[in-house]
Amino acid sequence: MSAGGSGGSAGEAIPQNKLIVFGVVGGLVAVYLSYFLVSIAGSAFAFIGALGAICAIVWGCSAVRRVASYGLGTGVPSIGMLALGMGVVATMFGLAVGGIAGPVISLITAAIIGLVIGVLANKVLGMGIPIMEKSMTEIASAGSLAILGLSVTMTGTFMFDEVLTYVVATGYIAVIYITAGLAILHPFNANLGSDETQDRTLVTGFEKGAIAMLIAGIVAAVSNGAASTPTILIGLFIWYTAFTKYRELVARDAYDVVGTGLLPTEEELE
Amino acid sequence: MIDIVGILTANVLCVVLITLGGMLISWSVHFVPVGGAPAAMAQATGIGTGTVQLAAGAGLTGLVTAGAMMNMTDSMALVVASGAVGAMIMIGVTMIVGTWVYVYGVGVPPASAKVDYDPITKDRQDIYVSQGTEGHGLPTVSFVSGIIGGALGGLGGALIYYSLMSVSTGLTATNLVGLASIFAVGIFFVNAVIPSYNIGGTIEGFHDPKFKKWPKAVQASFVATLLCALASVLTIGGL
Amino acid sequence: MEPLIGMGVLALMGAAATVAGASEDLESDVGSQSNPNSQVQLAPQMMYPHRIYNKAISGEPPSNALMCAIGGAVTSVLMTAFSMSILFAISIGALVAAVVHGSYCVTAYMGRTASQKRYKQPIYLDIIRSHVPVMIGYSFITTFCIIAIAYMMTAILDHPFPLTLLAFIWGITIGAIGSSTGDVHYGAEREFQNVEFGSGLNAANSGNIVRRAESGLRNGIDNSWFCAKFGGPVTGIAFGMTVFLSGWVTTVFDASISTAVGWMSVVAGVGIILLLILWNRRIEVSARNAYGPYKEEDDEEVAA
Repeated sequence: MSAGGSGGSAGEAIPQNKLIVFGVVGGLVAVYLSYFLVSIAGSAFAFIGALGAICAIVWGCSAVRRVASYGLGTGVPSIGMLALGMGVVATMFGLAVGGIAGPVISLITAAIIGLVIGVLANKVLGMGIPIMEKSMTEIASAGSLAILGLSVTMTGTFMFDEVLTYVVATGYIAVIYITAGLAILHPFNANLGSDETQDRTLVTGFEKGAIAMLIAGIVAAVSNGAASTPTILIGLFIWYTAFTKYRELVARDAYDVVGTGLLPTEEELE
Repeated sequence: MIDIVGILTANVLCVVLITLGGMLISWSVHFVPVGGAPAAMAQATGIGTGTVQLAAGAGLTGLVTAGAMMNMTDSMALVVASGAVGAMIMIGVTMIVGTWVYVYGVGVPPASAKVDYDPITKDRQDIYVSQGTEGHGLPTVSFVSGIIGGALGGLGGALIYYSLMSVSTGLTATNLVGLASIFAVGIFFVNAVIPSYNIGGTIEGFHDPKFKKWPKAVQASFVATLLCALASVLTIGGL
Repeated sequence: MEPLIGMGVLALMGAAATVAGASEDLESDVGSQSNPNSQVQLAPQMMYPHRIYNKAISGEPPSNALMCAIGGAVTSVLMTAFSMSILFAISIGALVAAVVHGSYCVTAYMGRTASQKRYKQPIYLDIIRSHVPVMIGYSFITTFCIIAIAYMMTAILDHPFPLTLLAFIWGITIGAIGSSTGDVHYGAEREFQNVEFGSGLNAANSGNIVRRAESGLRNGIDNSWFCAKFGGPVTGIAFGMTVFLSGWVTTVFDASISTAVGWMSVVAGVGIILLLILWNRRIEVSARNAYGPYKEEDDEEVAA
């Protein structure tokens, strides 16, 4: 955990508002689509939930990237742990009270808690980061959607009884917490530096989201409502595609990629 | 829809205790002597890691102890005290081994750069600070402060867990434990991060001038935890 | 439960925790994880390019929690859905977790290094090929031991938390301990062997890490060789002590007998803490006497 970069907004080719739409719409549509398809056509469609989680994770990465480039005073990881902490409380609340509207209520609750913490950070703690309120709202919402998507993939439904029995009581919620949390915070942390680029960070988000999907696929083996094999295979495919793309972007951005060799010479460093 | 007012009036004490637990955690983080990245290079007094991580490590160890104790007894005081003891042991052991590494592995005496004399032992500090650093290791005052921080953090975490387990609910025991434990973890993280932002990631202990900023973090945690407490009590109570 | 069985299980847990702690710290030294990595990150910027692995996975506690939670989840799935025996389940769970950890290691090194283009730090593929398997190996050992601890706690000591959650929590704890203890040996001593032992690390030296090894250019595996002599083992002792002592107080003084016995466990715990405070004080005094002040006392007082 090293010191974050400081000052100013990071350059971005894809505007944040597009990513918000991508995350919210992609996340919610996937969660509902997965739920209805599973109940109509069978458990194999549970994987769609995880696709929604990936959308939310990529959105979350982008929000972390924007806020963390201001320098938080402590490591980037803190914000991911915060996001999922808020997200898990909000998500369980939404699912428990909401029934069919559960995912929407979860999202709104998470956004409210996130907004409040963002306001507190600036007004009470005096952090003075202009986008703190907006980013905290986004990060908490993304965390909540990621938890929702992965829960649906594990159980095939977002009805609270099932989620409670198969995800919470068994403790698999902990694995959702950390795989989604790291998928949101790791991409920016892993690409941190002076020459960080937005597309590379977001591709890392896809790649880490695919790992979360893969793990959710393995856990789905426990539940009758969700099939595990399609999720694992599709997760592997997304992971491979994203990782290949990531390697290309690394080759594009890096000073040099060498098999082995000595350090750059003094003349080279001039 | 669930009967929001009914559940809240029946469990108002739980909401209060959870909020109190969150505020305790927030306060506790200010006691934990954490030097962040510079301390890992022996360039600053305190433990060489991040505030959130260490507070979480200690508090969650306390939660494990409290969970074990909750299985054996109904006494709230005992559960909460066990949480505090578990967290104190974790942080105490971490700090003593940290001292071994600073003294035997790196060869620097513990010294604080924020005060000239250790408020507990009255030892001179400034001349033991090596050139170009902000102190290193864990002088007695930081060690004691860390123990207090661990105790408060464990207390807070256990209080949250105990309160969540006490909400009147129709859940089975397994489901209740699952839900209460992950809520406790989530609320713990929220309250570990808020104070870290308040102190900017590093603090030496209660003698550090930054410690005076704690009311701000505790206020922020009050609001944030209250929201989380309402959401979690409604979740558990509504089932 | 028989008290003797409880003590036996606790001893086993302590032993597993000691192994886990040592391997956790060495894993983070090979990859240069957590706070000392800020120097590895800074070095190219100060015109010191290097061949040390730059692994920035979000600080050790979350990254270890990730390994342990994934391992715990896979283990628990294999046991419930496929009725696999515990030993195989833990092995496969730890393997899956270690491979996922490997993928995080690769993206961290490539990403951080690619973002240092303007400082002309190249990406060395042989560093990835040689270091990632070592890290996967260490993380397998760590995860295996942690899941074993979590399994013993749930299955034998009747801890109410589910296996995966316990693995997650111990993952956070082991990461917090590893980055607080063993990593200091790596960050404050191994990275800066070019300054005199015990002289302290002047902030002006930041980024000037040792880049040449006993033979050739120094890499992360050279660092783990050094840290295995002190930093790794003491981290193991720290985590072993944490697991053992926090379980010991509740096992010896079993609160299910009576509340009074339960309070004895609290008293015993506080007693241990007091001993630790006194021990720290003894080390502090002996270090101050042995190393002496850096500046003359009189000068300071005149100046003041």
